[in-house]
This record gives sequence, structure tokens and C-alpha cells, in this order.
Amino acid sequence: MTKEQENINRWFKKYGWDHQTFFNRPHATRRHFLELLGTGVTASFLAKNPAKAAEVATAGAVTKGTAENVIFILMAGAPSHTDTFDFKMVNGVTPPTFNPATINGLYFPTGIMPKLANMTGDFAVARNVRAHAVVHSVCQTWVQIGRNPLAALGNIAPNIGSIVSAEKFPQRKPSDIFPTFLALNSNGAVNQGYLSGKYAPFKVTPSTAGIGNTTNATGQTRFENRFKLLNSLDANLRTSAPNGVPMEDYNEFYIDAKQLMYNPVVNQYFGYTTQRSADFGSTSTGNAMLVASQVLKANLGTRFIQITSNDGWDMHSSIYAGGGSIQTRIKIIDDALSALIFDLKANGLFDKTLIVMYGEFGRTTGPVTAQGGRDHGPQQFCFFAGGGVKGGQGIGQSDAQGRDTVDFGWSQKRYVYPEDIEATIYSALGIDWTTVRRDDPLGRGFEYVPKTGAFPFMPVHELWG
Amino acid sequence: MVAPRWIVLAGSIAALSFSGILVGQTAQDPVPPISESQVQAQEKFAEPDCPYFGPSRERYETDASRRKSGLSPVRRLSATTESVTKMMGFVPGGSRTYNFDQAHAAGSIDSYIFADFQANGITPAPKTRDWEFVRRVTLDLTGRIPSADRVLAFVADSDPNKRAKLIDELIAKPEWVDKWTMYFGDLYLNTDRRGSTALQRFPTGRNAFQSWIKTSLAEGKPYNQMATDLIAAQSTNTYVDGPANYLVGSIVTNGPTQDIMDQMIAGTFDTFMGMEHLNCLLCHDGRGHLDSINLWATKTKRYDAWQLASYMSRTSAARTPVDPSNNNIYYWNLLNNQRNFTTDYTLNTLIGNRPARQSTVPGCKAGMTCYTVPPRYILNGSAPAPSEDYRMSLARSITGDVQFARATVNYMWAYFFGRGIVDPPNTFDPARLDPENPPPDPWTLQPSNPRLLNALAQHFIEGGFDLKKLMKEIVNSDTYQLSSRYPGQWKAEYEPYFARKFVRRLWGEEIVDAVTDATGSKPCTLVSGACSAPGYAATGWTDLGMGRPFYAMQFPDVVNTEGTTNGFLDSFVRGNRDDQPRGGDGSILQALNMMNATLLENKLALTGALASPLLTGIIQTTGASNTDAVNKLFLNILSRYPSSSEMSTALAALPAGNGAARNSAIQDLAWSLFNKVDFIFNY
Repeated sequence: MTKEQENINRWFKKYGWDHQTFFNRPHATRRHFLELLGTGVTASFLAKNPAKAAEVATAGAVTKGTAENVIFILMAGAPSHTDTFDFKMVNGVTPPTFNPATINGLYFPTGIMPKLANMTGDFAVARNVRAHAVVHSVCQTWVQIGRNPLAALGNIAPNIGSIVSAEKFPQRKPSDIFPTFLALNSNGAVNQGYLSGKYAPFKVTPSTAGIGNTTNATGQTRFENRFKLLNSLDANLRTSAPNGVPMEDYNEFYIDAKQLMYNPVVNQYFGYTTQRSADFGSTSTGNAMLVASQVLKANLGTRFIQITSNDGWDMHSSIYAGGGSIQTRIKIIDDALSALIFDLKANGLFDKTLIVMYGEFGRTTGPVTAQGGRDHGPQQFCFFAGGGVKGGQGIGQSDAQGRDTVDFGWSQKRYVYPEDIEATIYSALGIDWTTVRRDDPLGRGFEYVPKTGAFPFMPVHELWG
Repeated sequence: MVAPRWIVLAGSIAALSFSGILVGQTAQDPVPPISESQVQAQEKFAEPDCPYFGPSRERYETDASRRKSGLSPVRRLSATTESVTKMMGFVPGGSRTYNFDQAHAAGSIDSYIFADFQANGITPAPKTRDWEFVRRVTLDLTGRIPSADRVLAFVADSDPNKRAKLIDELIAKPEWVDKWTMYFGDLYLNTDRRGSTALQRFPTGRNAFQSWIKTSLAEGKPYNQMATDLIAAQSTNTYVDGPANYLVGSIVTNGPTQDIMDQMIAGTFDTFMGMEHLNCLLCHDGRGHLDSINLWATKTKRYDAWQLASYMSRTSAARTPVDPSNNNIYYWNLLNNQRNFTTDYTLNTLIGNRPARQSTVPGCKAGMTCYTVPPRYILNGSAPAPSEDYRMSLARSITGDVQFARATVNYMWAYFFGRGIVDPPNTFDPARLDPENPPPDPWTLQPSNPRLLNALAQHFIEGGFDLKKLMKEIVNSDTYQLSSRYPGQWKAEYEPYFARKFVRRLWGEEIVDAVTDATGSKPCTLVSGACSAPGYAATGWTDLGMGRPFYAMQFPDVVNTEGTTNGFLDSFVRGNRDDQPRGGDGSILQALNMMNATLLENKLALTGALASPLLTGIIQTTGASNTDAVNKLFLNILSRYPSSSEMSTALAALPAGNGAARNSAIQDLAWSLFNKVDFIFNY
């Protein structure tokens, strides 16, 4: 344990561990602020808040800027790290068929991920990642917004993809008709928070037919006439918002929707053949990665793609046996992710596209539970590939059982938290992760990566080698 | 107080547009639209340069002015501001018939809200015109749009009490029951299967719960009685006894029974007390965790929360297979004091979904007092009477607690206004609610208007926990009847004062039903293009022998409810009654659905089993002018007449004569109106 992490741990111990990172001192949460507005309490309240965002200096950070696109894969349910990407062979527990081998410094279960085993030179694994809490819903939100959902601005915080969308929006060309932020198999994904609706995730469940409802039953000519009529009748409500901003925002959805209609390229890139689907394993996660690959190849404005792997990672029971075993589930990832990396490389996009994949937390290690499964645990892994990341390396080292980190292996000499991964994504895209937006509705200042904790969150630049 | 000159002026202009011109019109009659200049004339009196509170406004210091002069702001709703409220005489622009009360009755919603406006120098939006009001209140109360006839009759009615009468009429309708059955189905998380915990009620159990909610609302069951039924339910079969399905929804696996007790009390406190932070306290003390978000919780220990969870001990829930040979389909029982099944809340767990539960007493063993936690009501220390049923005692303590009334009125307020007086409405901090006893610095009172919250809660209690009465009080208030149009410069910080009505994107169910009502095209199961059975084939409802619903609001669930509407409704974020709440966001998919979904296009049909009576009526009426057609479409779809510019735009799109081209143009115009944001939103 390093001195840095010990300090942090002491601080956590003093204030408790799980999901309170930002609760430890009185800073202005959304609720506080509205109470402040609502009850007319004195300005001295604000002055007492040490962590007021407006007082935090912007560092003018040096970003990597090596990636143009991000594919963010959330393994919902929290996969066991010690059975997958931070592999630990537990004698008498782990089936021998996992067949681990050390390749490129990664101890890897070649028996259950044979395809990725041949690609270890292409990806890096952080084995020093730590979740703040072990509650599914809270932590799934946490990794999507890169901050505590229950703390300041948590409930109006945008998805990381929406921040990327807002940052990259000015670069959109008139020909860019695809949404900047695409969410596949992610109907429950966090939305744009307080940002404008145009930065919202476009949520699609992949289908061979592409996106539904992109043609009108009456034909294109009549549709165009209808749309023209709609705009002439509704312009005043849609653009000057006399009844409030939500109606004006709604107009953005119509503009974006219209661009997706009667456009052959939409189904060309969002649809797929069963043959192509088979290349990716013929699973819904595979189809999502296939569509992600095609959409990036189209190069029509999509910059951030979130994929949710709803493949049953919450394995409290029978982790090594039956249809729901981790062997059958990780095969879905092995098939899909290897095909995605292959595809991106073939299209010359791998070096421009950062792939980040992890769960909302990890699981218990060593012997399995009485139910033959693994329960929730904070230690976890994070997978990185492409976008300038140097493959064939592990960042940090966990102990023999995988319960804790023994070697942090990066500049901050502490765990990597979801906020650090958020900062890493921004840095890869050339976005200053220390940015503070001034357009939040509370006038408090919205930090891309929260700064109100006891220590600064930083990108894991070691990934670039 | 003498009314300022412009009140009289407003009255006379409004009189031009309302009296005479519209009276007696029906949906069939062609009617000239209100011109936009008339609309503007009505509204310009709400411009910010207008001395809204009258010339004496500047006599009263606002917080802002006090701050500027270096004084600390007065605490809101002081005795001074309350006396000021009573003296205020202000009249908005808007309509001739409706002015704000010159003096709001003391203790009314408006007396508190308008005192806030006054104290903070906020100019409220003008009051709704009748056209805005009739659509808004009908949608909010019944989830449906008003019929064209009702809109016209309401606007033409010269009765000064017509708004109150309309409200009474709406609350008495069966559509009110449908809408609020859906609302409480959401609040009580009534779904056949919870994905996050894999808990199964099965469609039959869910239907029983749904039917109980519906019957309770239809009968006007007092809300404290509803809560008691749910909290204290005992049943040997959840397929039969609706209310027992409430607590059954909290059953979790992968842990000791204390985890279930914890989950049950956490759910109960979220639903009925608006206190989701109790869930945190069931794992750990508040200090070190909730220090800057909940003062009460900061002072509350995990042991206190255990005492509350202990009310759920001595309850057993067990499955009985419907068919003894198939263990996968079952109903539940929920029973108290079952031998060998029920236990006290014991401190003997090491694993599970929550941290270990162990006594702090060294050497504590089974059988010792320290080993179990007795029930004790967390907010006042009361305990079950000797031999009293634990959950009955809990129901008594909860429904007798003013916090129960506060939470309920605040949930209702949050629905009608788009944000709670405490917001989000399930984050109550009991230590920051009393305006007579404010929390220590730097804490502030939590409700944006604490006295209003308390008054509403008190009215709710005194009114016998009558939900209908509560809703009437809310929607009859001037505050609810403010326009969503804000002619001045709106500021985000006005939001907690409710100085304008916030628009609400219609629920998916409301949109589908409004299209059904407007077009007159009733849902139907089609077989080879012909209607084989009217109504919707709702999953797990009609196939279990229940009558076919005709409106989406009558669906018993929000997940996989009916094949022809699922995709459409899902795109409107109807939640899953598990871990995803209903949402009001927009999306590109919603726009694609509104523009192109078969569901909507079918309702514009001119022929066939689903032909729209509205559209076919228009195209088949010989000799009717295009002006009539436009008026009729606006009235039926948007519940209002077009403005003059809308009329001319619409007329330009309609060819003359009765031909195929005109028929298509009528469909296209209807399509455009359904896609207008003033259709998609309640404003």
C-alpha cells in the first residue's frame, strides 16, 4: 500500500467507505442550492463551502488527444474480474478448462477467451480499479456519469457520452447525419442530464433491418409536405419556447429524426446480414459491436458509442456450471470484442478508436459461495484497447487472490476510480478533463470530472506507454 | 384597494374576444379564430414593465434588496410577509373572467405561494385562458384530452364557478380512476416481474393488485386506509388478495430474512413517507455517509433503522405452486406469526445483501435481549402495544404521522407542478421541515415553501385523507392555474417558487389515448384487415379472462403490455416499475414514432376497419368549407381553435373541392397537428 492510498484510505475511514466520496463536507448539492434559492438563506452559506466549483482553478491540462471515437462497453451486473481479465487460478475451484497462460505479461484464461488470447498485444488491462460502492443501480449510473449519482449535481449530471457529444458537436459537418452519441442495447442508459436534448444518447436495439420508423407509410413526397406544414404551423412554439424550454428542446429531436429518414445509408450501416452477425457471435452484444463498427466506418458524425452487455454478469450462483456460467457468457465477449478489434483494424479505425470495457464493480474472490457463485466486491478490472493505448500491458497488480491492489502502477499511486476512467476517456479524445462548464442551471459550475473530493482524479496516461 | 386602470382595460379587450363571439358555438359550427393580435393584447398586461403588484410594491423589501444594502434577508413567510400577502391587490393579464383573488384566503395554497412571489419580487405568469385550462386540467386529472364539445361548452359557459365545476366533473369520471390507477401502479411498483430482483408476482398477482388499486380509487377509499391495507396485508394467496402484492414486491434473494425485512421497510418508507434515505441507514449509521444531504439521517443510527425494520419481522412470505407438479409458477402468502417460519429481527448475519448484523454487546448470544431488535417507530419512539400485530402497529404509526400526509401531498404536488415542494419528492429530511424550528446553520429548511407543505398536509388530514379533495384543492388554486407562457424574462431561480406552470411531456399512454379520442378510431384486433375484436389484447390481462381495455391508460402494467403499442409506449420512457422510473425526457426515437409509427398512421385511415370518424366525417360533409375542416381538426386534436396565422397556413395546404387530393391534405394536416409540440406536451 502506498502512502498516497493510505492517506486516502484514512480519509475514507474517517468518513466511511461506500458511496460517500463527496458527502464528507458541506458543499452545495442541487437540493441545497434549491433550498438556498427557495428559502432565502444568507449568502454566507455559500461562502462556507470549501468545495464550491467556481473557486476551483482550471489546470489547463495536457491531453493525449489520440482518439477520435470511443466505444464504451458496460458489462452490466458486474463481472468477476478474477475469472476474466484479472485472472486468478483457484485450485480446486476454477475449472482446469480455463487453461491460463501468461502472454504479454497478462495472466490470461486462454481456454475461455481463445480469440482475445491471440490479441493480447492489442489491449491493456488495468487491474487496480476500485468501485466506490457495490450496489448495481447506483454504480451503473456512477460509471456512466463518472461521479457519485447521489452527490452534488449527480441527478442532473449528463452521461459521459453527452459531454463528449457537446464537445464534439461543433465539429459536425452538414453531412454528419448520425447522432454524435449512440447507445446500443442501452435503453436504460443515463441521458443528457441538464444538457440540451441534442446531446442525448440515441438509443437503438440493433436489428438486421436497421432503425425502425425511418420511413413514412404515405411515401417520401407526402412526408416532406407534411414536415413542411408542421414546421410552418409550429415554428413559433418550437423555436422561441414561449411555454418553456422543453418544447424547444423537443424540436431538436425532430431535426435529428428527420435526417435519419429516407436515407439509404442509415440502414446500410445500422442494418446487417446474418452472416456478419455470425462473425460477431450472433448475440445481441455481438450485434451491437457489429453496428458500432459499421457506424464508425460510415464516419457520419458518431463519436461516442455506449454498449451495454446485458449478458448476466451478476453471478451469485453456479458461476462455473450450467447455461449461465461465466464460460458461456465470456464467450459472447470473446467472439464480439475480437471481431470488433479485427474490424476496426481492417477499416483503419483501431488507432483512432478507444475501447473501454468494465463492469460497475467486481466480485468476491477465492473460493465460491455456498451457492457456487461470487458476490459483490469493490476490486475490479478495466479493459482498454485502441485509440493510442499501448497494448500488451497490465496497469497495476492485484494480490494473489485478486481481493486488493498490491501495486498501483500509475502516477497517482492509488486505486483507479470511475472518475479516473472518465478523465482517461476525455484525455484520449483531446478534451480537457479539468473543464468547468458554466451553463448548468444552478450556476454552480459543472466540472467534467468532479473536483470536490479529497484528491484529484487523473487520466491513466500510463496506458499510452 | 383601488384596482389599477389596466385591469379595466384588460377586461374590455377580453370581452371583445370572449363574449358573444364564441358563446353557443358547437364543434359543428364554423367559427372565426381568435386573432393573434387579440391574444397578444390579452397578454401584454403581463409584461414585466407592468407594475404587477401595484404601485405599493416597492414598499416591501425583497431579499435581494436587503442583501444589496448589506442586510441579511428575512426568513421567508415571516409574519410581515404574511400580512403583506393579505393586503396585496394584483391582477394579471389573461382573461376577463379570471383575476387572481384580491386576497387569498388565509391558509390557502395561493396565500403561501403568492406571499413568496411578493417577498422575492417575482412576477408570476398570467393566469391560464380557458382554452389552456380545460386541456391542461383534463389531461392532468384524467390522462385524456377533452372532447371538442366539452371544450366549447366550457369556454362559452359564463358561470364564474365553471372551473371548479369542471374539476368536480373530471374527478368523478371513470377516466380519473384509470389515470390514477396507472399513477399508483407506478408508485407501488406493480409489475408482474421485477427484473432487478427476479421477484415474480405473475400476471395474476399483478392483476389482483391492479384491481385493488382501481377499486380503492373508484370507491374513494381514504388514503390512510389504502396505506394500512398495503402495510398490514395478510393473505394466503396473492392471486386473490391484491394488497398483499405490495410487500411481496420487496422479497429479495441471496441473503438472510433480515434483508427482506429491510427491503420491505425501505420500500414502505419510500412510498408512504418519501424517505428513501432510510435505505442507506439500514446498512450503516448516517454519520459519515449522509452528512451533507440529510440532517435527520446524520443523527440516525443503523440500530434505529433496524428497529423500524423489526416491524416487518414475524411476517412470513412463502410460495405455493399453482400446480403442485410445477414449482415455477406460484402465488405467495404473506402471514404473521407463523410457527417455524417467522422470527424476530435478530443480529446474527454475516453475509447477504447488506453488511453484517451483529450486536455491539460483547458475548451476546441467542436468547439474550441484545440478540434481537424490538420494533420501535423511528420518528416518535412509539412501539406496538402488547400483543398488537407488528405491521398493524406500523400502519397505525405511519398513517398517524404528519410526515405520511406531507409525503403524500408532496407526491401529488410534484405530479401536478412538475417538481415537489420537497424535491425529489422521496428525499425528505424530517429535521429540516419545521419553519418554527429551523435547522442550525449551514442547514436550511428543506421544503421550498415549508408552511404551504404543512398546511396542505393538515388539510389532507382534516379532509379525511381524501385524494380527490386534495387534488381539487390543488387544481382549483390560482397557482396551478398560472399559464406556462411567461412573457417576461424567466430565471432558473424562479423554479422552486412555481411562478409559472411547467410543461409536461405527455405520458406515452396519454398520447396513444389522445390520438384515439381525437380521431375517434377505436383500437381493434385486425384479422385480414377486418376488426375481429374491438379493444386491445393486453398481455396477461385479456388472456386471463379480463375485459379488453380500449385505452392504453387501462393497461395493468408498463412492461410488455400489448403488441401493437409496446414499442411506441416504451420510446416514451414509461419506466419498468422496478429500477427505472417513468421519465419525461424527449428523444429522437419519440420523434420517429410520432412521425412514422404504424400505430398513429392507422388512426388517420379514411377507409377500412380503423377509419377515423373525425376525418371521414370531414371529407364526407358536402359543402363544408375548408375553414370548417381546419377548425374541426384543431378543436378535436389540440382542443382549441387555430390562430389567424395558423388558419391561413392550414387553408393554404387544403385544395378546394371534395377530391382525393383534399382527402390526403386533410390527413396531412391532422398528421401535422399530432406532431405539434402543443399536442405532445401538456402546457
